[in-house]
Amino acid sequence: MGTMQGKLESIRESMMKELDSVDSSESLQVLRVRYLGKKGLLTQMLRSLGNLPPEERPAAGQSLNELRREFEAALEGRQRLISIAEDEAREASDLVDVTLPPRGRGWGGFHPVVQTMNEIIDIFVGMGFSVAYGPEIEDDFHNFEALNIPPHHPARDMQDTFYLDNGRLLRTHTSPVEVRAMLKWGAPLRIIVPGKVYRRDSDQTHSPMFHQLEGLLIDEDVSLADLKGCLNTFVGAIFGRPLDSRFRASYFPFTEPSLEMDVECFACSGRNPSCRICKGTGWLEILGCGMTHPNVLRYGGIDPDRYNGFAWGMGPDRVAMLKYGLTDLRVLFEGHGSFLTGGGY
Amino acid sequence: MRISWKWLNEFCKIPLSPEEAAERLTLTGCEVESIERPCSALKGLIVGRIEKLRVHPERADLFVAELDLGGPRAQCVTAARNLKEGDFVPYGAPGSAIADGTVLGKREFDSVTSVGMMLSAEEIGLPWIAEEFGILRLPRALVPGEDLVKALGLDDCILEISITPNRGDLLSLMGLARECHGVIPGAVLERKELRPPQVGNQGTVAWDGLTLEDPGCPLYGLSFAPSVKIEPSPLETRIRLAFSGVRSINNIVDATNAVMLITGQPLHAFDLDRLPAREITVRGASEGERFRTLDGKEHVLADGDLLITSGGVPVALAGIMGGENSEITPETKSVAFESAFFEPLRVSRTARRLGMGTEASYRFSRGVDPSRVLPTLSCLAEFLWKETSQRVEEKVRVVSTRTWDNRRITLTRRKMHRILLWDDLDKASELLQRLDLREISGTAEERLFEIPTSRADLSIEEDLIEEVGRLKGYESVPSRIPPLLHGTGRVGEEVEAHRRIRVAAMSRGYLEIVTYSFINPRWVEWLRIPETDPRSRGFRLTNPISQDQSLMRTTLLPGLLQALQTNLRSGWKDPIRLFEVGRVFLPGIEGEEHREILRMAGISWNGKERRLLHETCLKDDVLSLKADVLALCGSRGRTPGFSSGLEPFGHAGQTAQVTLEGKPCGYLTSIKPGILRELEIPAPVFAFELDIEPLLPEKGFRFGQVVRYPAVYRDISLIAPVGKPVASIEEDIRALGGDLLRGLVLFDLYQGTGIPDGTRSRAYSLAYGDPSRTLRDEEVDAIHDTLRRELAEKGYVLR
Repeated sequence: MGTMQGKLESIRESMMKELDSVDSSESLQVLRVRYLGKKGLLTQMLRSLGNLPPEERPAAGQSLNELRREFEAALEGRQRLISIAEDEAREASDLVDVTLPPRGRGWGGFHPVVQTMNEIIDIFVGMGFSVAYGPEIEDDFHNFEALNIPPHHPARDMQDTFYLDNGRLLRTHTSPVEVRAMLKWGAPLRIIVPGKVYRRDSDQTHSPMFHQLEGLLIDEDVSLADLKGCLNTFVGAIFGRPLDSRFRASYFPFTEPSLEMDVECFACSGRNPSCRICKGTGWLEILGCGMTHPNVLRYGGIDPDRYNGFAWGMGPDRVAMLKYGLTDLRVLFEGHGSFLTGGGY
Repeated sequence: MRISWKWLNEFCKIPLSPEEAAERLTLTGCEVESIERPCSALKGLIVGRIEKLRVHPERADLFVAELDLGGPRAQCVTAARNLKEGDFVPYGAPGSAIADGTVLGKREFDSVTSVGMMLSAEEIGLPWIAEEFGILRLPRALVPGEDLVKALGLDDCILEISITPNRGDLLSLMGLARECHGVIPGAVLERKELRPPQVGNQGTVAWDGLTLEDPGCPLYGLSFAPSVKIEPSPLETRIRLAFSGVRSINNIVDATNAVMLITGQPLHAFDLDRLPAREITVRGASEGERFRTLDGKEHVLADGDLLITSGGVPVALAGIMGGENSEITPETKSVAFESAFFEPLRVSRTARRLGMGTEASYRFSRGVDPSRVLPTLSCLAEFLWKETSQRVEEKVRVVSTRTWDNRRITLTRRKMHRILLWDDLDKASELLQRLDLREISGTAEERLFEIPTSRADLSIEEDLIEEVGRLKGYESVPSRIPPLLHGTGRVGEEVEAHRRIRVAAMSRGYLEIVTYSFINPRWVEWLRIPETDPRSRGFRLTNPISQDQSLMRTTLLPGLLQALQTNLRSGWKDPIRLFEVGRVFLPGIEGEEHREILRMAGISWNGKERRLLHETCLKDDVLSLKADVLALCGSRGRTPGFSSGLEPFGHAGQTAQVTLEGKPCGYLTSIKPGILRELEIPAPVFAFELDIEPLLPEKGFRFGQVVRYPAVYRDISLIAPVGKPVASIEEDIRALGGDLLRGLVLFDLYQGTGIPDGTRSRAYSLAYGDPSRTLRDEEVDAIHDTLRRELAEKGYVLR
């Protein structure tokens, strides 16, 4: 009995000593096999328990198993420490300079006008307007006549028109969709019409193709107050805070009265006489609007004695230019990577 | 239109500064775009009189003048040759400043000192008023030493006003004065309406007749100045015209222009002796008739153009420009003045067609006031007499075929309130009367107004409400949310689809661009699109700005490629992916006029920089763009199909037809290297273009079953001809694999040693599984063996 105990004690001592000197997962495994493997020392000793006298067996077995458990626990503890050290070493050697360029495709980029158009749409849809569309190749009737602009009318000079070889024209505004929508849905009506329009004009602030967003609301007893409320709400939403506005008298053949809406310069609020955004006027021209002309309602099949309404047309390109501080309209349609990615010089 | 503030104030005394008046005019619909002070730089200039003038003692090209400055005297040297003793001239002493801001001083001219300078028209900021080359000669009525700016009225400012097309009545000082009276409280009208002339046939000029053959001219008047002397206009007139943006020609032409500026009625002066006959007939032009206007240009006329003729010969294009054959020349001795009413649309049509926007056509197109046509001739006679002492005969010859009544419009309380939310008819009437709209009767509910003929733009009640609204000020109208706006609107499928697709594209590295809908027609040939392809039959603009923008696009590809070219030309070297959503325009089918199709398209270019860090990872190819197409369609819950396809501009071996729900909807391709060479774009460029319409209907996504039991995997390697698409191989495997075949992954392609020429091996890992349990190996082996056998029977060789 005493011999067994002493033997186990010395085995224990040398095992623990060896374990202390182990410093890698591999040598730990070698140690494990040497003592606990199929041919390992402890395994063999367990097997040879049968050689002991029967009365000694239980105690010896118990001691042996205790030693085995103790050793396994020690191995595991040692393994944990070694793993941590090994992971640390590996991570230290697998260092990646995270300031290196990324690999793979990055985010592309949005176009300022499409983005702005979508923001405008969301604001008006939130207010209750629905989106309507119409063709970009139009006929004279929808683009002009039904909007109270007869042939050779000087108002046509306001919108220099592109004509096509099939006798049609490129719409000069999104207003033809007003008439199409009235004929299709009748009154009451609340729509917005985003889209491309075309005029024969090209310089820094004019592009032969640009965008418009038209709005139309028809109901019984619509007033200028409704128009003002609706557009003031929009302006507050698109520029992020309520801005002062003013409505100037103007002229459009398809509205009566006709107005133009200016908003307070969001950059300087009229306080900077050399402001680049408003050119020192304190106001930004933002859109044209008015009460729908009774003739236009008639063309749309709506009884002007019962219904009336208001309409407006705005330039999302201009809103985008204001929002993003752009100066040249034509650059919007050239697809410069440097411009769209915010790069360049 | 340019308006002299001082001149305007002669017609209407305005109790505001020009800036305040401009603000008020702008708010009420007459946008004042700028206020200029052309002579504001002038400082300290005075009037001088030349006492003595002698040739410079040493230089024959110079003169020395002794000036009387109203007491003080000065000596000036000049090179100008138009002066003589007794002339009055503008003079700047040392320390004074001229138009360009130069401060004058003393200067030596070969031993003669010039103290200050005598000045030309240009030096005082008014080059247009010069009647001759040299120093500006001033009227002798001035006093030496007098302040020049005050004496000539140069302390004026000019309002640049933009007049809307409906307000032809504002294209005159009188009209604008009336408007100021209406919109500016306290403004006082200074001149009443014009005096009508005496009508009659007696006079010293023998005249045979006036005939109106065309309803386009319902009123025509002529007056005569039988004996005139053509000379420059007085300086005052020249300055006024210059301030109004009109070039001075001579006293006669200047008078017609000045009177037009006053009354708004364009006038024309014929050289009476050069008229082919003592007769005028107004008639329509015949198609193809030719006529040379006084600017020397010959025009081919069309049916509907209106001509003034004399003795059968055209002498003026009615309301637009006179003829070269009868214009006023320095030798003109007698003059006939025309004042007429021409139908606005007739003049506007001809002027637009011929591109002749003149001061006259501009006014006639917008409608002149018929009641001023004849009185303007009296105004002209007065002006000519007063300004240049030229006599015009009192009697005016007139024919007319029409009369004009004053329109009457009722303003109702109800409708005014509906629009303005304001119903004080008394106040409204007060406002309207200041615009000369006279109330002739009324009740508590409505008022009847008589509209002067000058206001052709007022025809319905809404027009009156607009007048009330703008005079009262729109700031007084409250602001409220319309009752109809409750609940939310509908964005609609098109916007919804566009949004999802564009965000998907941007996430995959595409730059969103917007390009012009019109392209250079040569793209059709550059992209080798054959005549049989509808994309070769785009619509052409009949009046493009440039050839580059003259064909409506039938595909989005040109815009994208052109944007790429633009980038390359400006030195772009990085990989770039461009993406656009927009409409293309194709010929109609089955009776439609045309089709507008919403498309999305993208291109990818791998860049030029060869030393990129992760180069291989960034290179796109047809298959990486295929993943993009799948992702974009995936954003709308669709999985498109791909099959070998053909595009005229596509690489023959790398083009796919893309289908949605079995219908072709676009292509995926690598652009032909030959095309790219011609476009000077380094190959390769990969591209796709798809119709968006099939992606529009919202489609609910179907989620899959949750897998709880792991699959069992078996590999298979099939040898089949190189040309056999993996899609059809996979179809076979799926068809034969049975219900338990859950998925398959292609992991290797091999071609070469060990397998026959012309064949390729495709290796798949097949996953077998059952939703309710884990399959046993033996079961899977049995199924897999069956599949192998059946595939072999189909002709596949299994490795």
